Amino acid sequence: MEALNYAWLIVALPFVAAGVIAAFGRLMPLKGAEVGLAAIAIAWVVAVMIGYQTFVNGPVEAVEQVFWSAPLGGSVLIEFGQYVDGLTAMMLVLVTTVSFMVQLYSREYMHGEDRFTYFFAMLSLFTFSMLVLVVAPNTLQALVGWELVGVCSYLLIGYYWLEKTNSDAANKAFLTTKFGDIGLVVGIIVLSVGVSAHTDNVFSIRETTELAAAGMLSEPTIVLGCLLIFLGAMAKSGQMPLHVWLPDAMAGPTPVSALIHAATMVTAGVFLIARLYPVFAQSLAVMNTMAIVGTITLFFAGFVAIVQDDIKKVLAYSTISQLGYMVAALGVGGYTAGIFHLFTHGFFKALLFLGSGSLIHAIHSNNMSDMGGMRKFMPVTFWTFVVGSLALAGFPLTAGFFSKDEVLVSAQIWASNGAASGVSSTALTGNLVFWLGLAGAMVTTFYMGRSVFLIFFGTHRGVSAHTPEEVEAEVAAGTLDPQAEMEDLDQAAHDQDAVDDLSQQDVAAGHAGHGSDHDHGSGGHHLPHESGWQILTALVVLAVLSVPVGFLGGFLWDEVGGSTERNFETWTATHLLEEVSYPFLADAHPVDLEELHGGEAEGADADHAGDGAEEGEAAGISTDVTPLAAGADLVLATEAEGGEGEVDNHVLHGAPEFHLNVFVLALGGFLAAIALAWTIYGRSRPMRDPVLHMGGVTTLLENKYYFDDIGYRGVVVPVRDWLAPAASWSSNVILDGIVKNTGGAVKRLADVTYFTIDQKVIDGGINGGAFSAAWISSKLKRLQSGDVQRYAGAMLAGVIVLVVVFAAAR
Amino acid sequence: MTLIGPLVLAAFLFCVGLYGVMARRNAVLVLMSVELMLNAVNINLVAFQNLKWQDDPVATGQVFALFVVVVAAAEVGVGLAIVFNMFRNRASINIDDADLMRW
Repeated sequence: MEALNYAWLIVALPFVAAGVIAAFGRLMPLKGAEVGLAAIAIAWVVAVMIGYQTFVNGPVEAVEQVFWSAPLGGSVLIEFGQYVDGLTAMMLVLVTTVSFMVQLYSREYMHGEDRFTYFFAMLSLFTFSMLVLVVAPNTLQALVGWELVGVCSYLLIGYYWLEKTNSDAANKAFLTTKFGDIGLVVGIIVLSVGVSAHTDNVFSIRETTELAAAGMLSEPTIVLGCLLIFLGAMAKSGQMPLHVWLPDAMAGPTPVSALIHAATMVTAGVFLIARLYPVFAQSLAVMNTMAIVGTITLFFAGFVAIVQDDIKKVLAYSTISQLGYMVAALGVGGYTAGIFHLFTHGFFKALLFLGSGSLIHAIHSNNMSDMGGMRKFMPVTFWTFVVGSLALAGFPLTAGFFSKDEVLVSAQIWASNGAASGVSSTALTGNLVFWLGLAGAMVTTFYMGRSVFLIFFGTHRGVSAHTPEEVEAEVAAGTLDPQAEMEDLDQAAHDQDAVDDLSQQDVAAGHAGHGSDHDHGSGGHHLPHESGWQILTALVVLAVLSVPVGFLGGFLWDEVGGSTERNFETWTATHLLEEVSYPFLADAHPVDLEELHGGEAEGADADHAGDGAEEGEAAGISTDVTPLAAGADLVLATEAEGGEGEVDNHVLHGAPEFHLNVFVLALGGFLAAIALAWTIYGRSRPMRDPVLHMGGVTTLLENKYYFDDIGYRGVVVPVRDWLAPAASWSSNVILDGIVKNTGGAVKRLADVTYFTIDQKVIDGGINGGAFSAAWISSKLKRLQSGDVQRYAGAMLAGVIVLVVVFAAAR
Repeated sequence: MTLIGPLVLAAFLFCVGLYGVMARRNAVLVLMSVELMLNAVNINLVAFQNLKWQDDPVATGQVFALFVVVVAAAEVGVGLAIVFNMFRNRASINIDDADLMRW
C-alpha cells in the first residue's frame, strides 16, 4: 500500500509544471508543452499504481496524512494533507488520464496560438487544483481546491478574451458558481459547528462522516449543512437552475471544454457529495432534494440539446443531463452508481468533446449545419466519435450502458425499499428517477444520433458550398437561422486568413508537398482533412478506454475475468460506507464508532469474507429473470435472507446486478430513439428539420426554457439596476462618508492637540520655565557684586542670625 | 582677677577690627583691622586658659594663641603681597576697585 503515501506527488507535479511553464515555457523548444506532458505522465503512472493497489485490496482503509497546518484561531487548525481511499484513487485515475490526453491533444489543437505557453501553464494549474480537491482530508482543503478550479475555469473560458462574449461567458461562469460557493462555505461552517461539539478536528471529512453515521449530529445541522453544500454542488455541477453557465462556458477552447467542463471540474460537486455521503444519507429531505433536482436536470437538459446546431452546445447540454443522472443516483441511494457514472462519463464525454474539437479544427466552425459527410474525410474521428456517442447513449456493452443501467437499478431498489419501509417519498423519487431517467436516456440517444447523422452522414456542407446566394435560398426555405449563417461566413473568411498564414509557414518550412491541399488561389475553401497524430492518439486512447471502464463495475465483470470481490464497487466503497444506514428507513441502526475503529485491527479479511459471501448470493440471485414487479422486491442478499418486505438499510454499494426489465426497457428505448433519428436524419439533412418546427416546444427549447432570460431579468437586471447602484451608493456615500468624517474628526482632534496642548501647554511650560529662570538669575546675579566688604557684611549678618537662632533654641 | 575685663577688652577690639574691615577702603587698613580681630580672639584664648581652666591639662588656649599669631603673620604676609601687586597693576589700593570677580 506504499503507493498511497505518494499521492501528494500526483498533486505536486502539475503544480511544479505550471510554475516551470509559466517561468521558462517560452524559452523551451516545445513552448512548455513538454514540461506539462512529462509531469502529467509521471503523475498518471503514480495514479494508476494507486488505483491498482486500492483496486486489488478491496475497500481500503483511507491513508490520511497532514503535511502542513496552521492555527486558524482558537483550537481550530487549517490542515493540508492527503486522504487517499478508493474514491480518491478513482478520481486520481480519471483526472490524470483525461488531463494527459487533453494535453497531448492540445499540443496540436492549440498549435500556433499566441498564448500557447499560457494555455499549458493553465492546464497544469487546473489539474493541480482539481487534485487538491480530490485528495482533501478536510473540507477546508476541499474548498481551496474548489475555488482554485473555479479560477482556472474562469481563466480558460476567457482564453479568447478579445471577444466580449467570451469574457462575458467567463464572468457568467465565475459568478454563477460563486453564488453556489456561498452556500458551500456556509454549509461547511454549519457542519463544522455541529462537529465541534464532539471533536477538535472540526473540518475533518473522516470525523464528520463518522459522527454523522453514528447519529451524533443533530438533524437541523445535517439538513442545513447538506442542503447548503448541495447548493455549491448544484452550481459547480450544472444542476438546474444553476446550469446556465455551462453552455456558455463552451466559449473556451475545446480541450478545455473536454477537461474542465465535461470530465473533471463539473463533477467536483458530485465528488464532494460522494465524499460526504454518510452525512447526506442521514436526511430524507436532503436525499429527496438531490433526487428531484437531479431528475429535473437530467430530463429537461437533454431536450435542449435536441435543437442545438452548435456541436459543443449539444455536448454541453448532454453533460448537464448526465450530471443530473449522477446527482439523481446519489439522491436515490446509488452511491456506487453515481460515481460509476461519473467515472465512465469522464472518459466518453472527454472523447466526444475532443472529437468535436477535431471536427472544429478541420471545419473552422462549431455548427453541424456546416458539417455533413465528414465520415469520408475524417474516418478516425468518425469511428471514435461513434464509440463515444454509443457510450453516451448507453448502447449495450459500452461504458455508459453499465453505469446508466446501474443508476436506474438503484432507483428501482430505492423505490422498493421506500415502499417496504412505508416512506412514500422515497418510493416516489425512486420511481421518478427510474422513469424519467429512462426517458432521458431515449432523449440522449436521439440527440446523439441526430448529431452523428448530421455531422458524418449525407453530403459535405462545408463553407465552400455556401455562397451568399445559397444562404439566402436556404433562409427562404426556412431551414437556417440567417444571422447565425452570416456570422458563419464571416468566421469562415476570417479563418481563411488564418489558414493562409499557416500554409505559408508550412511552405517556408519546406512542406511544399502539401501545397496542393491548400489551394488558395481559387478562393475556394480546402476540403476538410483528418487531424494529426496527437489528436488522433488522444481520441483513440479515450475511445478504447470508453469500453472497458464500463465492465469494471458492470454485472458482466465476472464474465470477463473479474470477480465480485474486486470490482468498481469494492474499489470506491469505504468501511464506513458499508456500515452506514438510512435513519429514515426501517431497521436503521447508528454506526458504533468504537466498533468501527476496533474492527480495523482485525484486518480487512473478515470484512472481505463477509462481502464475498453477500455478493456471491447477490450474484446468484441476479441470474434470475426478474420481471418488473418482482424486480422491485428482489434486491440484495440480506433482503433475500430476511424475507419479503424487509428492507436492506444500507447505502447502496452492492454488487452490480442484472435487471432484465431495466435492460429490456433501456435497449428498447435506445433502439426506438436511434430509429427515429435515422428516419429523420439518416440519409441526408432534411430540408425542414422537424425538431425545429414543433411550434411552442421548439421556441421553448431554443430559448433554453427561458432560464437565461429569467436569470437576466430576475437576477442580472435587478442586481445591475438596483443592488449594484445601492451598494455603490452605500459605499460611496455612507461608508466613504463615515470614513471621511472620521478622518476629518481625527484631523481636528490632532490640530487641537498640536496647537493647544503641544504648542501652548507643553512648549509654553518649557519656555516659561526657561524664561523665568533667566529672569530670576538676572536678578540674583546682582548679589555677586565683587565687593569684598559686602560679602563680609553678609557673613556677619549670617553669624548674627545663627547666634540668635541658637540662642533662641536653647 | 575676673574674666570680665579681658572679655570686654576682646569684644571691644573685635568690634573695632570688624568696623575697620567693613568700613575702610584702604586695603592695608583692612588687613590691619583683620589683625585686630585675630588678636581679640587671642586675648579670649589666653584669658579663658588662665582664668577659667588654669588647672585643666587639656585646655591649651595659650598654645593655640601662639598658632594664631603665626598664622596671622603668614596671612598678613600674603595679604600685603596681594595689596602690593594690586597697587603695581592699577596704582590704587582702594578695595572698591578690586571688583573684577563681580557679575
